[in-house]
Amino acid sequence: MPPTIRYHCNCTSLASGVPPPPHLPSSAYAFHPLHSLYFCEECDAVRCNRCATVEISGYYCPNCLFEVPSASVRAEKNRCARNCFLCPVCTNTLSVVPSDPPEPADGARTPVTISAVGEPPFFLYCNHCRWDSVDAGITFEKPTGLALQLQKTEDSAPEILELEKLKDYFEPALRQAQAQQQLHASSTAHLNPIQAAASSALSRDIPALKYSSGRRPGLGSSSSRRGVPPAMPSPGVGHQDIDDPATEYKPRVWMSAGGGIGHDAEVEWLANLGSQGGEGSSQPVVATSNSGEIATLSQRLHATQFSWAPTHSLRTVDLKPTRVPLRSKKSKRCPKCTHILIKPELKAQSTKWKIKLVAGNYLPGIEVFLPTVGQNPALKKTGKEKEAASAEEAAAANMMLPGRSYPFHLIFSNPLYDPITVRLSVQRSLPAASATPIVPDTPATPMVSQSHATAKRPPYAISLPTTSFLVNPFAEAWEYEDDEDEEMFDEDDIGINLGISRTPGRSGTGRDGGTKTKAKTVGVLERRANVTKIGGEVVVSKEGKGAVKFNMLVSYTYRSDDAAPEEAKTDASTPASKLSSTKKELLAGATENTKTFNFYTVVDLGAIAPKEIIAKVEKQERRDSVQTVGVYN
Amino acid sequence: MPPLRDKFSIHSRAVVCQDVEMRGDITVGAGTVVHPKAAIFALVGPIVIGTNCILEEGTILVNRRKEVMRIGDENLFEIHCRVESPVIGDCNTVSTKARLHHTVRLGDFCVIGAGCLVVPVEDEVLPDYTVVYGPNSERRVWSGRGKLQEQDLRRKHAEYLREMLPKFNRLRRSE
Repeated sequence: MPPTIRYHCNCTSLASGVPPPPHLPSSAYAFHPLHSLYFCEECDAVRCNRCATVEISGYYCPNCLFEVPSASVRAEKNRCARNCFLCPVCTNTLSVVPSDPPEPADGARTPVTISAVGEPPFFLYCNHCRWDSVDAGITFEKPTGLALQLQKTEDSAPEILELEKLKDYFEPALRQAQAQQQLHASSTAHLNPIQAAASSALSRDIPALKYSSGRRPGLGSSSSRRGVPPAMPSPGVGHQDIDDPATEYKPRVWMSAGGGIGHDAEVEWLANLGSQGGEGSSQPVVATSNSGEIATLSQRLHATQFSWAPTHSLRTVDLKPTRVPLRSKKSKRCPKCTHILIKPELKAQSTKWKIKLVAGNYLPGIEVFLPTVGQNPALKKTGKEKEAASAEEAAAANMMLPGRSYPFHLIFSNPLYDPITVRLSVQRSLPAASATPIVPDTPATPMVSQSHATAKRPPYAISLPTTSFLVNPFAEAWEYEDDEDEEMFDEDDIGINLGISRTPGRSGTGRDGGTKTKAKTVGVLERRANVTKIGGEVVVSKEGKGAVKFNMLVSYTYRSDDAAPEEAKTDASTPASKLSSTKKELLAGATENTKTFNFYTVVDLGAIAPKEIIAKVEKQERRDSVQTVGVYN
Repeated sequence: MPPLRDKFSIHSRAVVCQDVEMRGDITVGAGTVVHPKAAIFALVGPIVIGTNCILEEGTILVNRRKEVMRIGDENLFEIHCRVESPVIGDCNTVSTKARLHHTVRLGDFCVIGAGCLVVPVEDEVLPDYTVVYGPNSERRVWSGRGKLQEQDLRRKHAEYLREMLPKFNRLRRSE
């Protein structure tokens, strides 16, 4: 797996804002890729999808892109009311097509003229799987206004009729409950309306409960029920007691007792499936090739999920097209200050945003590369050995081997129109027994390698440059000029093309690969356009295993237009403010209002190859070196 | 392996562009349109293509068997599909990037969906009106409704191509 970097959002961590150490499995939830984060300008904080408050800003149909007003959403049960349907077999959208014209009587293959309008009856047709609605028995006379034409059939669905019957049955009980609520509310009119509503809800009579409102079992429907706790005001006479066996609810379709499940026809059909001639399988019922007559589970679930007519039947022919469910456009707010972070445009077909406060426009983007890991030795092999070797070799090639040290690159890109100075520091992951606190690196040392003497030390050591470095502001490509750089060393393997044109002055500074010493892999490697490349090094210890992950605190300082300069609260801030004043000559403005912002990231450099894979790879290499080239099996 | 002798019989009303790679013994029927960058390799046995077929760009037809590979009339081979099946009927559609193994034979009016791999282990004949769709290449049977409209559309498509392609591409004529 290539190395990744993720950013930390404070919502899941404790009050201190420090993220959890990366070897804990729960830490995965605290880190997000940069493209999924937002930034609140008021609170100066990173927000993620989990902490942002979401509200719906509009509903639309994904097929016809019609914006549905929220009132009709409820009425239409979250579906598109126009001619949008989903295929029950493959869930693609259906189109309305005319039927074929009748074939000529002589049966010859003379080309038949197809009229432009098409002939009725019209039906729904799926372009992907070629299902059509004639199988399900749905045809239309006109190609438009399908909703109206389907309305009648939908209204007479058994579920809707059942619901109507239930509503009728509970009607008197509902009226009772409402009357009680009225009475109760009138006596407590002086109370807070919220309290009144709550108390009336609590004391509402629940008709379905046999023992509600002090009624005893076996008393029947006599009026003695009403001579009860004085807290319950009597609604008067003339009510119907629901629990009376005489007025028991009878559903519309009544399964007779002892009639079994009632799907005899279906059971017979299933039994006959396997025994039909063409199947060729001697087993009864369901072989895997069931000739497509039985609806698969996902098809049946889809029909139930997206429609209000659950299919009890197993047959494919009974699958009906479902209406397209509506989608919503959401706007997101900061949870603390309720400012809007994201607000989409109201038109359904536009994908732009009215307000777009994404973290990528405020935080520097960071990418991680391990230049020396990832060359696949399997590419050198030919022929059949490739398949045998690739499983282990490919796995091992992208992993780090213990006992070695690898350089890695961090590439920072600055989205702001002002230059920023960035400082990095590695956060120590503290096992409980450890006594080493988080060490802020002093600016003087260019390379600090941290090691531990504790029992549970992490299996790697990271060295990062600790001086702050400048990243130039973002500007259009043609505006870049030569900048006065600090010393930089180009690595040999800069093959990473960031797509930004090199400024003409750069190629003059040669690459001196020859005089490079080990110390120079750590530090500022390259700076061009609004991008700065930093080199660091990771030393993997001999008994290391697992993933190499470390938390990194990034703090950057930029010039802001606010009246009062704000300082961050970590100990990295004081050197930063010192540095910002020393860099006065780089900042054009006279006012030195700088702001420092810091955020945590987790850098995942990849896994350390476990011993088994290393052993396998070494064995394979030894075997291959014996084989001669050009041997084909 | 006997050397490949190229023998192309292209009907005078067929439209085969210059940029098509053809090898072996190939017969192209009347009205067929072969877009540039298609490839027809009759590596062992001959290939016979019927009338009014459309082979779009990137189509690869390969015949590695000694028997004749017969392709029927009015078939549509969409972009980048790869077909090795020995027998194909009429009015089939092989969609974009689909792949047919040499063990499959197509009937008439079949539709192989985009990106589908039809690679049965043993020889299989897809009955007429089979539709292969979805990422797992599931199959179902088409009812055949709408086939007249589709045939009409295909004829118009082929007609349009026969008219337009020669205006912008060089044609390969039969030797």
